[in-house]
Amino acid sequence: MARRPPTPAHSPGARPLRSRLTQRSEERTQRLTTTRAVREAIVSLAGILGRPVRNQAGGEVGHLVDVVARWTDENPYPPVTGLVVRVGPRPAFIDIDMVGRLAHAEVELRSARLDLRDFSRRSGEVLLARDVLDHQLIDVDGVQVIRAADLYLAPVAGRIRLVGVDVSVQSLLRRLGPARWRPRPTPDRVIDWAAIQPFGDSAPTVRLRTSHEGLHRLRPGELADLLEDLGRPARQELLAALAPEAAADALEEMDPDELGALLREAEPDRAAALVASMEPDEAVDALRDLGRDDRAQLLACMPANRARELSGLLGYPGDEAAGFMTTILATAHPDETVAVVRARLAELDEHRSDVDAVAVVDEAGCLIGDLRLFDLLVAAPDEAVAGLLSDEQPVTVGPQSSVDEVAAQLMESRRSSVLVVADGRPLGRILADDVIDALTPDRGRLHFPRLLQ
Amino acid sequence: MTSEGAPAGAGLRSGHRRPRWPPGSAGDPQLLGSRVGSLSRGRRFLAYLAVAGPGLIAANAGNDAGGIVTYASAGSQYGYRTLFFMVLVTVGLVVAQEMSVRLGAFTGKGLASLIREQFSIRLTSLAMVCLLASNIGLVVSEFAGIGAAFGLFGVSRYLSVPVAAVAIWALVLFGSYRYAERVFLLLSVAFLAYPVAAVLGHTDWGMVGLDTAYPHFVASQPFVFLGVALIGTTISPYMQLYGAAGVVDRGIGPEEYRYERIDAVGGAIFADVVSMLIIVATAAAIGGSGPLASAHQAAQALRSVAGGGAEVLFGLGLLGASALAGAVVPLSTSYAVSEALGVERSVSRRFKEAPVFLGLFTAQVALGAIVALVPGNLIRLLINTQVIQGLLTPIILIFILILANRPEVLGPAVNGPVFRKVAALAVGSVACLAAAYLAFTVLGWFGV
Repeated sequence: MARRPPTPAHSPGARPLRSRLTQRSEERTQRLTTTRAVREAIVSLAGILGRPVRNQAGGEVGHLVDVVARWTDENPYPPVTGLVVRVGPRPAFIDIDMVGRLAHAEVELRSARLDLRDFSRRSGEVLLARDVLDHQLIDVDGVQVIRAADLYLAPVAGRIRLVGVDVSVQSLLRRLGPARWRPRPTPDRVIDWAAIQPFGDSAPTVRLRTSHEGLHRLRPGELADLLEDLGRPARQELLAALAPEAAADALEEMDPDELGALLREAEPDRAAALVASMEPDEAVDALRDLGRDDRAQLLACMPANRARELSGLLGYPGDEAAGFMTTILATAHPDETVAVVRARLAELDEHRSDVDAVAVVDEAGCLIGDLRLFDLLVAAPDEAVAGLLSDEQPVTVGPQSSVDEVAAQLMESRRSSVLVVADGRPLGRILADDVIDALTPDRGRLHFPRLLQ
Repeated sequence: MTSEGAPAGAGLRSGHRRPRWPPGSAGDPQLLGSRVGSLSRGRRFLAYLAVAGPGLIAANAGNDAGGIVTYASAGSQYGYRTLFFMVLVTVGLVVAQEMSVRLGAFTGKGLASLIREQFSIRLTSLAMVCLLASNIGLVVSEFAGIGAAFGLFGVSRYLSVPVAAVAIWALVLFGSYRYAERVFLLLSVAFLAYPVAAVLGHTDWGMVGLDTAYPHFVASQPFVFLGVALIGTTISPYMQLYGAAGVVDRGIGPEEYRYERIDAVGGAIFADVVSMLIIVATAAAIGGSGPLASAHQAAQALRSVAGGGAEVLFGLGLLGASALAGAVVPLSTSYAVSEALGVERSVSRRFKEAPVFLGLFTAQVALGAIVALVPGNLIRLLINTQVIQGLLTPIILIFILILANRPEVLGPAVNGPVFRKVAALAVGSVACLAAAYLAFTVLGWFGV
């Protein structure tokens, strides 16, 4: 369309086409101008590394080795605090106040006098080339682990700040090529630094002090993906930055092998706390996949009652009903009122995904019915539970039932969960989604060298 | 134990990680737990590593199709005379493997990732190109192995290699590779016959002892050529990558490193004892008959075990080992390159969402199969690919050595002053031999 010669003005539809073309070309010009403006304004870190640093008179002082920035909580864009410059054989630190101009391919100092100091890392400071460039970062908006191919600096609010990360292959090629290609930024796939969660990985003094608020908005499944993709130090750091509940939820979503590795490499106390916060059925799965001694160690680090409960569940083989049920069970007696049961359910708030019905038991603890949440919701608050029970028998399986038997029960009854019952007493509940997990073959998730199993 | 290639150990591993015990059986975790509860944690961890340690698996990956043929060629050409050289290569393998697993255990990162973070982008791309070239060489050798194996059964490689390439590609992509893998694993158990053949054959153990202990070399171009091939097949870059990745993957950290080191060193020595037994068995059967020229000839070494069935046994073993590595090597290469490029994420997603990974994998399988189809002697091709390995190994070893020498990478586990010298000497010797081979080759062009 764009290549077509201009249509005569009198032909039908000419004006819209003409104006469309004009508009498009205007847009293109505008975009090019913007890109050019952006390119002028931003400085590529890869481009200025190794370039000469000159004083005001134009004399060469040394060569740029690294750029120091400080992670702060006030501003999402870390300010540059200084430069590491190789003067003669030794690296020296130059404060950013001494720097007059930081532009493409050249650094100019403000004065001819130079106050050289050795570089020593102050709290919160990172060396951008050594600690960030080519290292793993989290893009919180895109929910992915990235590796910085280039970093862009720009003047923002009177200071030079780190504003973006480049993850494009072009930038890698630009860095591979001759030195004169390097200063030209190629801002094609740039991620705003405000969306980035960095790590303190190779700079031990810069631990992740506050985590990116965006991290707390991520779904457990997304966090699990990030944890799987990060290297060991970074993922332990990410895990430590999360609230225990959020961390445990994320672990439940992880690939079992990845989870095993993660728990083995974490501090035993920390790993035990995480497993203890997981839903019992998931925690048992995780523990089952660990080696015998790792399992014993984690159980030993847990609160005694939690450890006892999990050890009990571990006694059942993983492919039998009792091995994959959850022991989170809401129970009620027939003479209790609906309001009392509702209050009890409210206390189970954190296990909401594991509760979809209330087991009604008699004085001896024997199961007499299974009450759906819907029935509870529509009943009057002062009604007794006994009045809600229908003639319908509760759907149950034995502790030794196989996944197939559980699935058959679920299909026959059209309910979303079944109760696991031994000697008439309910032990736990199996939800339909657990059965789906068990029946769905592993999808083609590929991860070397786990591929080989 | 030639079947102990990378995939072989991995197969064992899966049995260990996802146990399904019938209740109350001898394997029931509760019962076992109480029974071995008195053993120290370290002892038990060691027992686990002894069965399926990453060091053992990685080191034994050298005994694949290319390895078998190169060792057999050494035996047929020089008899027992390469055994002392193999002792030196073992020292090199131990040093290299130990550094690789140490890097994995202390940093928790793969080698490709470490190289990207620690070296300039140009050096990183050099390392990746070497790795890619060396691993494509390996893929070629695996397909050549498949061709040679089918050749023993009278099937033309122009039929078997393309079919095998498509089959492996499809099995990996469409997800049923794990089942096929068990079959290949079972087939490669046939190579267990080698140590038995060394014992049953007409081996002159006095000569074996003498040639192993007495330092000697043969100063000729063929010996240097074979030496480079032996290094390439025993200490391939791929193994270092695999050893480090295996350690990271299992969450083996600094605390367990003491035991992991035993696994790495023990695995390397074990793998090389097997390699030397292959040389011994072949030397006893066809020693002195010149460089290996055909798979028929190589199969003669198993005659003392299988008699007339030697060719079938050798063929099945070669097929199993080649087909296993034919999928694993391109996959691990794709992973390493993706890691260095920073697109790890795509690797753990579905194949369709991972264009870099999928593209690299497909290209390697296709290239490997095509080169293996070029008319010529397959056995020569197999050995030549090992020479390429041997030439590229020193480059990757230098990267590993520099990483292991850097305190900011390894902290307290950095190479000590003595180890630093030993490792530098080992890497230097490997590099010198590769340089000598290149010099011989270049001089050869000018007719010197």
